[in-house]
Amino acid sequence: MGRVVGIDLGTTYSLIAWLDPATGTPQCIPGPYGSTLCPSVVSVDGQGKILVGEPARQRLLTHSERTIYSVKRLMGRGVADVQDELKIFPFRIDAGSQNVIRVRLGDRTFTPPEISSFILRELKGWAEAFFKEAVDRAVVTVPAYFNDGQRQATKDAGRLAGLEVLRLVNEPTAAALAYGLHKQKRGRVAVYDFGGGTFDISTLKLIATDEGDIYQVLSTNGDTHLGGDDIDSTLMNLTRAEIQQKYSVSLDDHPEAVQELRKAIIAAKHALSDQESVTVRFPLGGTRGADAYERRITRGEFEELIRPIVARTMAPVKLALADAKLASPEIDEVVLVGGSTRIPLVRRTVGEYFGRAPHAELNPDEVVALGAAVQADILESGVKTMLLLDVTPLSLGIETMGGVIAKIIPRNSTIPASAQELFTTGVENQTGIDVHVLQGERELAKDCRSLAKFQLRVPPGPAGLARIEVKFLIDANGILQVAAKDMRTGAQHSIEIQPSYGLTDTEIENMLEESIEFAEQDFEERQRIEARTEAGSILTATTKALQNAGEADLPTAERASIEKAAAALRTAAAGQDYKLMRQRIDELNQATNHLAELVMNGALQSAFEGKRLDDV
Amino acid sequence: MNAPSTTIRDAGVACWQCGAASRGEYFCPACGKIQPLPRGATYFDLFGMPPQLGIESAALESRFHKLSWKLHPDNFTHATEFERNLSLQRCSELNDAYRALREPISRVEYLLAQRGMRREGAAKQKAPPELLEEVFELNEWLDQLRENRAAASGAAPAELLQRLHHARDNFQEKLGSVDAELEKVCREWDRAIAATGGPAAQEDPTQQAILNRLNEILNRRSYIRNLVAGVQTELAGP
Repeated sequence: MGRVVGIDLGTTYSLIAWLDPATGTPQCIPGPYGSTLCPSVVSVDGQGKILVGEPARQRLLTHSERTIYSVKRLMGRGVADVQDELKIFPFRIDAGSQNVIRVRLGDRTFTPPEISSFILRELKGWAEAFFKEAVDRAVVTVPAYFNDGQRQATKDAGRLAGLEVLRLVNEPTAAALAYGLHKQKRGRVAVYDFGGGTFDISTLKLIATDEGDIYQVLSTNGDTHLGGDDIDSTLMNLTRAEIQQKYSVSLDDHPEAVQELRKAIIAAKHALSDQESVTVRFPLGGTRGADAYERRITRGEFEELIRPIVARTMAPVKLALADAKLASPEIDEVVLVGGSTRIPLVRRTVGEYFGRAPHAELNPDEVVALGAAVQADILESGVKTMLLLDVTPLSLGIETMGGVIAKIIPRNSTIPASAQELFTTGVENQTGIDVHVLQGERELAKDCRSLAKFQLRVPPGPAGLARIEVKFLIDANGILQVAAKDMRTGAQHSIEIQPSYGLTDTEIENMLEESIEFAEQDFEERQRIEARTEAGSILTATTKALQNAGEADLPTAERASIEKAAAALRTAAAGQDYKLMRQRIDELNQATNHLAELVMNGALQSAFEGKRLDDV
Repeated sequence: MNAPSTTIRDAGVACWQCGAASRGEYFCPACGKIQPLPRGATYFDLFGMPPQLGIESAALESRFHKLSWKLHPDNFTHATEFERNLSLQRCSELNDAYRALREPISRVEYLLAQRGMRREGAAKQKAPPELLEEVFELNEWLDQLRENRAAASGAAPAELLQRLHHARDNFQEKLGSVDAELEKVCREWDRAIAATGGPAAQEDPTQQAILNRLNEILNRRSYIRNLVAGVQTELAGP
């Protein structure tokens, strides 16, 4: 078995970490560019090759239609859900998408779990290069406020990346774990996690017991579509409108220019965390007599612009405290997580609300991945020094008469959690009972998130005779499991669940098979093409060299052996075996050693005009 | 740790692994393997306590933590699928039990539901007879308030608002006395089960009478609570 890691699959950046047994501390693993942050960007090049991270991010400016960022916003969602996002994000959703979104990148389409799996695979590669060993299991973090579908999609991404997902851990909880380990503190903690695309607030109780430390989550709340991305969008709207107004330049049909402006905006946002003002510069290349659009933004103006976004985080904070039955002064420590908490206005707002300076000693980008690594080690080593007791963020309910929801597992229940419901028939000879499972806090089914529908099949009989007990169980990952039992016979009842959003098991299996098959096929095909191309050029060069070589330069026996090797290569290149082609190329290269020398000495120079030496 | 010695009365089953007889322990006393939930076990049984309504929350929480430490799926990553599933079931039952028992009201609701005396939505919306007059009056004022708001002026007379505030405070106060009454009857229940050395409630008329009273108090409580919440919403305005 390979190594176990912790992964923070973020909206903007993703990270991978491990627990170093030598030091007992978690550490993030750097990638080939030296940074531990892998931009959560995926791009597909002209040959269909998938690029992830920094190289993909660079292609946002050159190949924006083949590149995607912030895919986390699409995880576990249907087409109807993301209409608002499409106004802000350049996602190219395929027209045929239904309950599973398909995103177009160049001439191929991918589901969000597939795109996320490319990011996971890249990180896995970083860790494998670091360990020089295979990595096959991981703890992956998700926003605490992710619903069942979003969690399932994340788990699917892991599976598609060749990782067994040992556990999904909520991001603020993972942060609390890393933080608690670091500070050895006890008491009530609030974790304010404001990332690139999601906002979470969790309240926890850190308790020392005889066995070890328990991190008990009391409540969680949040917004899975609120983050630094929204701040960027606000600044984008402002600057785009100004560019349009001042220079009559519309960026609407210039996705690359939009990305360039976005890059400048993000740099400005980062700068405003340390500086009082910044100037955004966007080159116009002489359009309308202007070299560039330049805009000075002061921190004051920035704060006014983003105040409504920061204010939106406070409603979930209040709800989380109310659910934990805590008043803000009862919180002993406030921990900041996520890149957006670097913004001074965010720190001030949180500090004022809780009446205490928030903690930010640990790197807010890394702390979630570090916590995931700690949990991964606990699960793997079996040596438990601490225990996380997390909660489900949303109430689970079933639809009853009139489209009203009956809540069966309330939000903030410690997970795993379960509920039993007894179902029976309402009319004579009814053969099926429809069950609709939903998640959310609203009263009506239409306002909640549909998770799944299934039908309990019963033999025809008088109304009310059938008695099927359905057990709904939310596991430690926050994912729903359903089992049904016939109470009259005691037999397990089989149910086929149709997930409302996301991929079915069969679809995943197919994707998994395809990805492995394609990966092998793609690899072989590429090898074949490369070998054939190389064979072509070496044969051409050899033929020309032989034509130009005189008897004095090249003995007959040598010429015969070259011709024999060339013929063998020609035969191999006509076939499919790239390994044989490589072997024949090597053999021909051996045979033409002397001929190549002649070429280098200039004797046959004329034959090689326009050819590079290494073609010979 | 005394939790694994928790036994569930009248449950005599054989361990699925070694066949040793167990009396409802979480783990087999012979081989230490995790065991399924014994048939008929109640949430009180899971915590190894009689079905009492007065529970010290710190003690319950500490017991919850000890049991969580043992039963949590974290401990079973490398176990067989069967054991992993058992851990998932047992841990979820523990969490469900803790959720039901940690709050005094939900504890009473659980005790009643377990005896088939309480169903969601049933018999809750009937006004308690002694409140009928006051409720009638309140509803009239609320109608007036809505009429006033619907009218062009939009503002309700200060006198009406004052009356509504007063009514809300009045019902809030009643809620307080209902809670005090509930507490008193809960203590009666605890004394009754202590006296019989365990609950044989179905047959015991004294216990049954207490349960009926508890049920009636819960209904009254839920009715008044809805009333207060309703007035609150109306006062907050549209």
